[in-house]
Parts: sequence; structure tokens; C-alpha cells
Amino acid sequence: MLKDQTMSVVFDGNPLKAMQSSHTHTAQTALSAQELSQEIKSFISGVDTVQGRKLSVREHARCAVRLLRSVPACRGAVLEHLRGVYDEHVSAFLHNLETEGDGSSGVSSNLEDIIQEVHGVLSEFIRLNPRAWAPLVSAWAVDLLGQLSSKHAGRRVAPHSSSLNELLQLWMSCAATRSLMEAYSQCLAAMLAWCPDACVDALLDTSVQHSPHFDWVVAHIGSAFPGTIISRVLACGLKDFCSHGAKDQGLLVMGADKGSRVPKIGSVVGILGHLAAHHSDSIRKELLRMFQESLTPSSPMSPTSSSTSWENSPQLRRAAVPFLLQLAAMSPNLFGAVSAELVELLRPPVLLHLQALLQGLPREELDNMLGLAVHLISQSPSGGARVLRFLADTATPASVIISGPTPSPHEGVREGCDRLLQTLLLHLHKLVFNRMDGSEVSPHHSASSQPQRVIPFLEELQSHIGELCAETLRLERKRHLWLHQLLCLLSVYGGPSVATEAFCQLLTQARNPEELALAWQLHTTLSSCIAGLIPAAVARCVAQIHTHTLGPRQLRQLLLNLAAAIQSQDEERRGAAGVQSSMAIQVGSAVSGHLHDFGPLLLHGDPAVSHAAVRLLSCSPLPRTSSPAHLLLLSRAAVTHFFLALRRRGEGGKVGRDGGQAGEAVNWSVLLLSRFAAYSPLTLKAVLQQLVEGALHKGNAELFGGQIADMSGAPVTSPSVSPDLGASLLDINCRFGTTVNFSGSVWSVFHAGVIGKGLKVRTAANLPDPSGVIQNVQTLLAVIVQCCSSSGLNGSINGSRPPSDPDEPAPINAEAAKVIAVTLVENVCPDVANGELSWPPEEHARTTVERDIHIRRCFEAHPVLFPLLQVVAAGRPALCYCSAVLRGLLATLLAHWEASRETLSTDSPWHLQASCLLVSCMGEGQLLPPVLANVHEAFPHLTPFEVRLLLLAVWEYVRGNGPMPQKFIFSSEKGLFCRDFSRDGDVARYVAPIHSVLHKNIDRLGHLCWRFQL
Amino acid sequence: MGDIRQSLLPRDVLSAAKELLYHLDIYICNLVQSGRQPPQVDSKTLELVEEFILHAPKDRNTPARRMSALQELQLLEIMCSCFQEQSRDTVRQLMFSALFSLQGNQADESRMALLSKLVSMAIAVGRVPILECAATWLQRTHRVYCVRLAQVLVDDYCSMVPGSGPTLQNIHSASPRFCCQFITAVTTLYDLTSEELTPPSELLQMIVSWIQDDPRLVLITFLNTPLSGSQPISSLEVTPLGGLVRWCVKAPLAYRRDKKLPLTNGTSESETEAGPLFSALHLSVLQVFMLLPNILNEKGLFGRLALLQMESLATLTSDLSRLLDQADKHTHTSSADTQALSQLTLDRLAQALQVAMANGALLCAREDLRAICSRLPHNNLLQLVLSGPVMYYNNIHTPPLAFSPHAAHSPIASHPPHPAHPAHAPHTPLAAHPSSHPQYPAQPFMTGMPFPFRPSH
Repeated sequence: MLKDQTMSVVFDGNPLKAMQSSHTHTAQTALSAQELSQEIKSFISGVDTVQGRKLSVREHARCAVRLLRSVPACRGAVLEHLRGVYDEHVSAFLHNLETEGDGSSGVSSNLEDIIQEVHGVLSEFIRLNPRAWAPLVSAWAVDLLGQLSSKHAGRRVAPHSSSLNELLQLWMSCAATRSLMEAYSQCLAAMLAWCPDACVDALLDTSVQHSPHFDWVVAHIGSAFPGTIISRVLACGLKDFCSHGAKDQGLLVMGADKGSRVPKIGSVVGILGHLAAHHSDSIRKELLRMFQESLTPSSPMSPTSSSTSWENSPQLRRAAVPFLLQLAAMSPNLFGAVSAELVELLRPPVLLHLQALLQGLPREELDNMLGLAVHLISQSPSGGARVLRFLADTATPASVIISGPTPSPHEGVREGCDRLLQTLLLHLHKLVFNRMDGSEVSPHHSASSQPQRVIPFLEELQSHIGELCAETLRLERKRHLWLHQLLCLLSVYGGPSVATEAFCQLLTQARNPEELALAWQLHTTLSSCIAGLIPAAVARCVAQIHTHTLGPRQLRQLLLNLAAAIQSQDEERRGAAGVQSSMAIQVGSAVSGHLHDFGPLLLHGDPAVSHAAVRLLSCSPLPRTSSPAHLLLLSRAAVTHFFLALRRRGEGGKVGRDGGQAGEAVNWSVLLLSRFAAYSPLTLKAVLQQLVEGALHKGNAELFGGQIADMSGAPVTSPSVSPDLGASLLDINCRFGTTVNFSGSVWSVFHAGVIGKGLKVRTAANLPDPSGVIQNVQTLLAVIVQCCSSSGLNGSINGSRPPSDPDEPAPINAEAAKVIAVTLVENVCPDVANGELSWPPEEHARTTVERDIHIRRCFEAHPVLFPLLQVVAAGRPALCYCSAVLRGLLATLLAHWEASRETLSTDSPWHLQASCLLVSCMGEGQLLPPVLANVHEAFPHLTPFEVRLLLLAVWEYVRGNGPMPQKFIFSSEKGLFCRDFSRDGDVARYVAPIHSVLHKNIDRLGHLCWRFQL
Repeated sequence: MGDIRQSLLPRDVLSAAKELLYHLDIYICNLVQSGRQPPQVDSKTLELVEEFILHAPKDRNTPARRMSALQELQLLEIMCSCFQEQSRDTVRQLMFSALFSLQGNQADESRMALLSKLVSMAIAVGRVPILECAATWLQRTHRVYCVRLAQVLVDDYCSMVPGSGPTLQNIHSASPRFCCQFITAVTTLYDLTSEELTPPSELLQMIVSWIQDDPRLVLITFLNTPLSGSQPISSLEVTPLGGLVRWCVKAPLAYRRDKKLPLTNGTSESETEAGPLFSALHLSVLQVFMLLPNILNEKGLFGRLALLQMESLATLTSDLSRLLDQADKHTHTSSADTQALSQLTLDRLAQALQVAMANGALLCAREDLRAICSRLPHNNLLQLVLSGPVMYYNNIHTPPLAFSPHAAHSPIASHPPHPAHPAHAPHTPLAAHPSSHPQYPAQPFMTGMPFPFRPSH
């Protein structure tokens, strides 16, 4: 079909001509034997034997054609003669071109019709009997084409042999060569059916003979018959390659063009390159097929392969792989076509065959091939990742490949791959670093204009960094070493952005110290060439956090890794200083610059993430300067996280396994808070304030054994529990005056219930796990104490305070205690009226009954208040600022004990405990002298009334000696504020009731007498 | 003659060849005139021919000189005229054999190539002397080479150059001897075993027309050759009769087999033509057989010379049985058609056997025939032939076709042949014969069975 098309395009009306000639042949056969004999004579001599004159070229050619039609024996001679005619035409044609066709076109046009005539006859013959004529004509046409194209290659108009397309254009515009080409195509089309080999072999033999000048023919034919030509061209190239041996390879790899010494492979590359434009698919299939065929064990007489094919020669089969490599090295097009699918083909059986094949080669040749393969891989623009994975998979020792996609390969194959991989790495290393050297040196040389050499393999891998990192981190025996090396190369090659990416990936993906160590190794390698890697990486991580590109697990891992990085610094300080020191410090400083970015993660919904965040924050150094807004935000987050951690610990304790982690989280949180508090007065204040507020907050109260209190301080009944009291807002509003909460006034005592409905129902306090509560309270206290005791207020962050006695707790900072005290008062005492520090006479307490009850309720609802008070007390003179609270509580206690009709104080345990704690606190806070402060020891042994007496004495003393901070003096040797009671009034007058009570109960209190000595 | 080598060496290829031819001519003339018997060309001369005309490499060191196709054509032209101009037949023959007798060395290839071209050209330009010489060559040469020559000629004239068939047709009138040998070679070449070994229809037509025109054509070589018994071993048979019989017998099966093959080019036409052609050919062959007794008797060879060889018949029948088996196996669809063709084949075989035996072309005992035909399927006519002719004029108990003095007086032999029965299909009356006796169903031949039509003495 193709044939017909081209024919009708190029030689219009040719079939018609053929028909005409077939009609006329009867006339020609009418030539008698005598005439034929004359014709032959004329033909041989070139002289018209009848008329005795010389034949013109045309007449001679006509005569030849007549003979061709009538005397079979003249066939060879006629064809040979026609060569001359064609050659003449080509000469005339080219000459015409060279002289720009100035009127001298007579000769060429004259011969053109003869050539058409010849062509008509030949194509008619081929059409009528392809079997007989096609081999003959094809051989002739090809040979003549080769002769013509190489003979006229040197002509001025002829383009250089390397520009196939121009050549093609030139020759196809010449009638003679075009006619030959047509005839050959026709033959080939006819012969494809039964013996394509012979035909193409002739073509290629000619191609070799007239090597570069003939390529246009092969290319043209090839694009007309891609399937046949491609495989044949390859086979032919292979044969030639085999016969030339591998000795030229080395030269070719280096790109040294040896001109005429380039064997057939150059032509093969040229031809295939030309075909690749339109038939890359067939070429790829053919190349891959060649590869596969060369490896499949040969059946001695396989019926499928054609008789002359290379598959039957073991030598050629062996040469196929080197040949393909060579081919790929010479033509990026071809290589690109194959590389993608080649890797897919390399299954274990294929590899085994390959190995068996290569074993037979001499060492030098193998080295050559290795170099070639490495060169190819490094230059391959796509599929690098797959190649790499394949190499690594195959080269990894079998024992480690447990469930790889491919079963473990043969040991020899593995070693081969190993070697290949290492050579590749070495090669890349050279490329990368030479390139850098080149670019550095370039200013001194003329090479400055030369752009940096691109390494396609690395270019492509840059987009696979994530996978590479993941692979590396799998820490498979040798594999990660290779990949790590490759990562280094990639980073150096790609510059800071790639390095950052890689480092960042490693930081995100590493799951344990060993894996993380890879990141440090990478950094160590890169630190020499890339500056500022760590800050950039951290910044990038932060960016990822902000864009939410990381999942919770990754996020957590990243935070933990960063934390581990920073902590390694501490370890070093203890142990041997390693390479990581500078890095740990760098990481630390980089992280500290982004603390506010990590802060919000403390409250991340995933406990694991928040846990990791607290760990990171707790160990990261704090920035030298930071804006207050950031600090406040951070402190709020930290405190919130603290309570969250406590809650999780409580919940986790029940579940079991997570308990440990939750506990750890609490510890980290405590550490974070204390460090943070120590950072600056602002943070200290913020932290403490929020801690106290948080502890008293509704949501957290239960953590510390508290009950949720309503406005009035009474525990709220849960809706389900409380019976409907029938109280409606309307009713209450109708009864004017009863609903208004005149807080602080005597009429507004509603806390006991709605009048007429009886007392409020107290909810049965469902106290949570007491041990948990105790633990929580302890933790809270610990954190508060730590915050308070770190002398952050004095400016030094860490290490400045000499640990004089490690067992002795550090003194509570007064300023910090004051913050707590003030916060306590703000939270517990709702009313600022009567908030002065000095105490009124006890009778005046009546005016503040409402507020006092509220305060007492608060203390009831929040058991944690007493420990907090104790802390405040320890930070003298901060307790003074709690004066209102103390007073209110004492007032309610006095009222209770006065009203109590119990026989023993122990019958109202809470009040007893509250009384004891209150007094001891005041003693600790040095609001009371030791004598008075000790009275609480006697409380449990007394009657309520006696307790009241003693408390009254306390009241009296405080009223007499107001709790004023001014009364405290800083003693530098203790590092504390102390109150010198001797400056105050005589204590004795307040001690009298104590002594009376002692006397009264001397039988039970004898052992306490010494406590009340003045 | 050997001393001219030195003078030839510096010449160019063509003139050296020309000069050698010239010298050869003179040398052979001298040889013939010297009257030495038998005239023998010495080996030195043969070597010169090989070196300067055939351009066989003399030794490994010197590269063979080659002529271009044009030079070769000139040389051929010179040879043509040379043979044409040489008036003495003996000289021509000697020269021809000096040039083209196969020597069993590596020059034979180029010798064959040159010979083929020469003969092809001689046919084109009608050089009778060359054809005569070639006819002799065909008689003396191993059949393999004869077949090759025939192949080249058939290719040249029947397939390569369209419209050149008539030129070949002319050899009939130009050189009947050559024509006869050509037919023998062609029938040897094309044994109908495969598509490639089926004669081109043009050739078939040509041969049929030749034989129809002149049945004696096939016997010309036989007639002209003094039977010295010194036939070279493995040369072609004396007549193409064996090959022609094979063609006729196998044709129905062979062409039917071809029909099954998917043929693209217009062989379907030739198929349709082939049937009648082979029928006509069969008739002609039978007629030639009928001519034989007179000729044989003239030569005194009746019953002594078998023109049909028993071995080739055996090969034919075994081929047939295989083909028929295949036909049975493979064609269930057109069984009626197949059956008819098989029967036609067997009919033709039986007819050929009968006529050949009756006319002394086939010398064998009926037992032998039965043996070689035992594996063939049933055919009424064949059954009749095998079981024995109704030879009322012959003694049934003696082997009928062994040479006997009675044979000369056999009625058939004395009957003048009637070649003018063309409208009468030769097998129809015979084929009708068994059908009138339906009590004899299809069954293999059984020797022990009494033959009911055997006349009882």
C-alpha cells in the first residue's frame, strides 16, 4: 500500500506507463532473432549497426531497455549499463544545482525521461514477478545508490553527511536517486513477505561500505519500513561491533571522535536517531527485544528466528549487551527510549543470565562496560529513581532483603550490582566535586563562561529526596550507606535548597537515635560546603508545621528528633565532646528562634504531638530576646498543657500503658514551666498566675480534689441529681428583694438554699481517686515551688545559683510568692471591699459574713488552696497579701466553733483541719509568732469552744500586730525575709488564753506545754 | 597451447578471453584434423579456459579477475558468433565440451553460470548450433546440472521477462533435440511435490503444445542416440516419458493441494487451465506410448529396453499413496470432489501402466506392479489392470510383457496407432468399464481370488 502511494506521488501516471509498455511488448517480441542479435551488437558497441552511427546516451539506454525486455541473458549487462546512465544524470543534476540552473538543464531533462522509462520497466517487472525481480533489482538499486551517494558526497552542493535531512532532501529531488529509492522500496515491500533479510542485509552492507554518505537511504527506507529496518540495522550493527571488538569502546566513551575509525555503530546510531523521531516506540521495542533475546538461552534451531539472525551465534549474543550499552552511550535518544523499561526487565532470571553472559568476558572489557554503565546512569535524564532502587535492591545482601518485591538474587549478581553501585557513587562524587571545583576555579580561567555541568541523574533524583531519605532511614545493612552517600552528593549538587530538604526529611522521618544519627552525619559532611544548613532546615520544618503538611505522627517525630538533637548537647557536656556539639548548639539556637511557632503545638489535639512538643520546648534553650506577646502566649500554652498533662496522666493511669508517657509528659511540662518561669519576671508572673488560676479553674478543680463551685462558692449540683425545687425565676422575681444578691450584705444570705424550700441539697462529692489527687497536688506544688524558687527574678537564668546544699530546697522567692498570693486573693475573695491588710476587731467580721462564707466555701471546694497558701507562706512576706482571705476564713471558723455543740473538735473534721492548716500557715508566713503558731497542735485535743478561744487569740494578735510586709527584713545569710517579732508588742497578753486552755486540759496536753513557752 | 598463457596474462579480461577462444578454435581444428581418436582436449587447455574465460581463481594468492556484466555480454556475443560460424559439427562439439564440460572443480559454478547465459542468449537470438551442443551437453551431464540449466531457462523465459515465452517456444522448431532434452530436464525438475516444484503454467502450455504438435518430439533423443549402453550414470533419462507420466498422474492431486494454499497472485487461472492441459498431455503421452512398439521393433529393442523405469514408478506410487492418504485425512468437506480427483489420478495411473506395458515401455511382471500398487486405494480400472489384461491374444500363464517372440506379432503392436482421437477422452470408455459390473465393490486386490473374466482354457 505504501509502495503504491509513494509511487503515485513521485511518478505520476506510472502505472499507466507500465500498462502501455506491457501492451507494447508484443510488438517488441516481434523482433526476430536476427534483429535481436543486431540489437545486442549495437548495445555492446554503442554504435547503431544498421546505420553505422554512434548511439546517443538516450538511444543507447533505450536499446538497453529493449534488450532488458527481450533477452534475459543481457539482464546483468543492461543493469550495469544503466548505472552509467543514472550516474550521468546525477552528475548533470548536481552540476545544474551548482551552476544555479542557468539554462543548462538540457542534459538532465533529457535523461530524466529515460530514467522514468527504465523505472517504469523495472517496476512493471517487479510487479509482475516480484519473486524473481525484487532481489535482483533491490541489490542493484542499493548498490547503485551507495555508489552514487558516496561518489558525489564531496560535491559542493552536497550537504555534509551528518545532516541526514538535508541529504535526504537533496537526493530525493534528483530523479535518478529518487527512482532508485522507489524501486528499492517497491522491492522491499514485495520481499518483506518472504525474505526481508536478504534485502535489508544488502542495504546494510552497502551502508557499511559507503558508511556516512549512505545513511540517508537507510533512514528513508527505515521510516518506510520501520519494523524490519530497525531490527536489521541493530543486528547488523551488532555484527560489526562484534567483529571490531571492544577495543574501540574506551575511545568512544570519552567522546573522542576518531573520524574514519568509527565503525558501523556510528551509522547505526545515525540511522536509528533519524528514525527515533517517528518510530521511537518500535526502536525501543526492538532494543529491548535484542536485550532479552541475547539473554534467553538459545535453542539451537529456533524456528522463529530467521536464518541469518544474530540470535544463533553465541558470540554475537555475548556481544549484544556491550553493544547496546555502547549504542546507548552514543545516542541519548536511544538511551532515553530504553532506559525507562530496561529496569523492569531485569528480573532475577534475567540477571542470572546476564551474569552468566558477562562472566565470560575478559576483565578489561568488563571494566569498560562498568564505566559505560555508570556513565549512562549518571547521564540518564529520567527513571533514575527506579534504577537506583533496582540497584540497591539487588545489591543489598540477601539476608537483609526479607520481603522485598524481588526474591533474593544470586550472589554473583549481587556482587556485580554492588560494584556497579559503588562505582556509580564514586563517579558521581567526582562529577559533583569536580564541578564545584570548576565553578570555583573558573574566575581564573577562561572556562568561566562554561555553565555548571548538569548531571541528569542527580537532577532527576532531586525530586525523590523524600523517598531516598525514607529508604536511607530503613538502615538496611549496606543500603543506607550508599543512599546516604548519594544524599550527600545530591545535597552538594543541588545546593542549599536540596540540602535543606534532605536534612529536613531526615529530621522528620528518623525514628530512633541511630536513624537520627544519619542526619548528623549528613550535616557533618555538608557543613563544610553549605553554611546555615540547620537554621534553614528548622525554618523549613516550621514552615511545614504552619502549612499542616505533616501528619501527627510525622510532626511528633520531628519534634522528638529536634529535642533529641538539642539534648545531645547536654550529653556531650557530660561525656566526650563529639562532632555533634556545634550542631546541637546550632539546632538549639535555631529552635529557640522559633519557640513561638512550636508553642501552639503544646495544645495539639494529638497527645503524642503535644508530648513531643513539650519535650522539645522543655529542652530547647530560650531565646535571648523575645517579644512579650510571644512569651505570654507561650506561657499560657505551657500552663494549659500542664493541666492537660495532669489530666492525661490521671486518665492514662487507668488505661495503663500510656501512663508512663503521660507521667513523662507531666515531668517535661514541669521542667518547661520552671525553665520558662525562670526566664524573666514577666514569664514568671504569667506562669504563676496562670498556674494558680488554672488550679482553681472549674475545669481543673477536680484534678486537685476540688468540687465545681457556683458563684457563691457552693458546689453545684449536677442537673440530673438535683430534684426540681419548683423554683421559678418568675416567682423569685415577684417576691421582690429576695432574689437580688446583695453580696456582702446581711440580707442576702442565700447560700443555704431557697427560703421555704429547705437547705440546698449538697451533692455527694464524688471525689476522684484520692491518690491521683494527691499526686496532682504534689505535682502542682512542685511546679509552683520550682517556679518560685528559681531565682529568675534576679535575672540569672540557670547555673548562677550555687547549690549550697542540694537536699535543702531552695527558698521560695518572695516576689513569686506575692504573685501567688495576689492571684489567690483575686480568685478566692470576690469582694475588694474590706480588702485592707490590717485586721479589724473580731466583731467587725459580722459585716463581711457573706464574703467570709464565700471564702470558706472556696476552701472547702478547693483543697488545693491550703497547700498553695503554704507555698505563699514559705515565700515571706507574701502571706501578708492574703490577709483578707485569711481573715475571712478565720472568721468563718470562729463562727463555726462558736456555734458548734459537739463535744470534741474532731467531730467537725474539715473545720479542725482548716483551723490547723490556717494557723500553721500563718505561723510559717510569720504572721504569728512561734508560740501562737503552735496552737494548732493542740486543736485536735480540745473542745470546739476551746478551739475558738485559741483562734480568737490568734485573731487578736494579728489585729494587734498587723500583717504588714514592711515588717519583714531581708536576711542575706538566709536569703530570706524574716520578721523580728521582738519589735512587735508583747506576745504574752495573747498567750494567756493558751495557757488557760493548757491548764484546763493538762492531762491531755501536757506533752505540748513546751511548745507554748515564750 | 599452454605456452600462450604468458601472452594472455597482461591482457585485459575480455581480450584475453577472446584471444583464448580464438586459439581454442584453432587448436581444436588441428586436433580434429590430426584424426587422433578420440579427439581429446588436454588438461592444460582446460586450465586455460578456466583461468581466462571462467575466471576461476587459479590459486589462493592471486585474486580472481572478474568480468563486468558488459564484458561478459560481449564474450557471450563472441561465443555465439564463434559457434555460429564454425561449420564443423565435431569442432563445435569439442569446443563446447572443452568450455562447458563439468570438471568437478570449483570452476564449475562459473561454468554453469556462463553456460546458462549462453544458452539463454542462444535461445533469444536463435543460435541453433549452440542449442544442438547444449542438447548433447544435457545428455552427458549429471542430471543435477541439467536441471539447473533448465531452471535458469524457465526463470528467464517464463517468469523474469514477461512476454518472452514465445521465444522459448521457438526452440521446438529451432532444435528439436534441445527441446526434447529440455522437456526431460523440466519434468525431472518439477516433480509436483511442492508449489515451487510445480511448472509455471506458461511452461506447461508450451510443453503440451509441443507434444500435441509432434508427439515424436519426446522420442527424438531416443531416436537419435545410438544405444551403446554407455549412458553416463545419473544423466537424464532418455525420454521425458517417465516425468510426463508422473505429471499427468499427480497433477489432479497436486493442483488440488495447491488450491488449498492461499495464493495471492493469479494462479487460480492456471488452475483452471491446468486440468484440461494435463488431460491433453496425458492423451499425448499415451499416444507416444502407442508409437513405441514400431520404433522399438525397428531398433530391435522391444522388450529389452524399458523406457519407463520400474523404480521411478515405485516412487510415483508411493508418493501417490501418501498424497491420497493426506487427501483423505484433510478434506472431509469437499469429499465428493476429492474422491473424483483421486479416482482421476488412479485412472490415469492405470491407463498409463496398461498402455506402457502393452507397448513395451514398461517391462515388469504383474506381480511387481501389484506390489508397488498394493498401498493405493481401490480403483476399478487399476484393479483390472493389475489383475491382468484381457489379453486373448496372449498366454495368460506366461509373464505377459517379458520379452517374447510373440510380442512382435501382438495385435496391438500391429495396429497402426491412431493419434486422431483427440475428442475422445482416453479414459472414459475404460472408466465406464468397471461400473457396468457393480457386483465388484471397492476392495483391495486379493491375489487368491479367481478373476471372473479370465478366459478359461
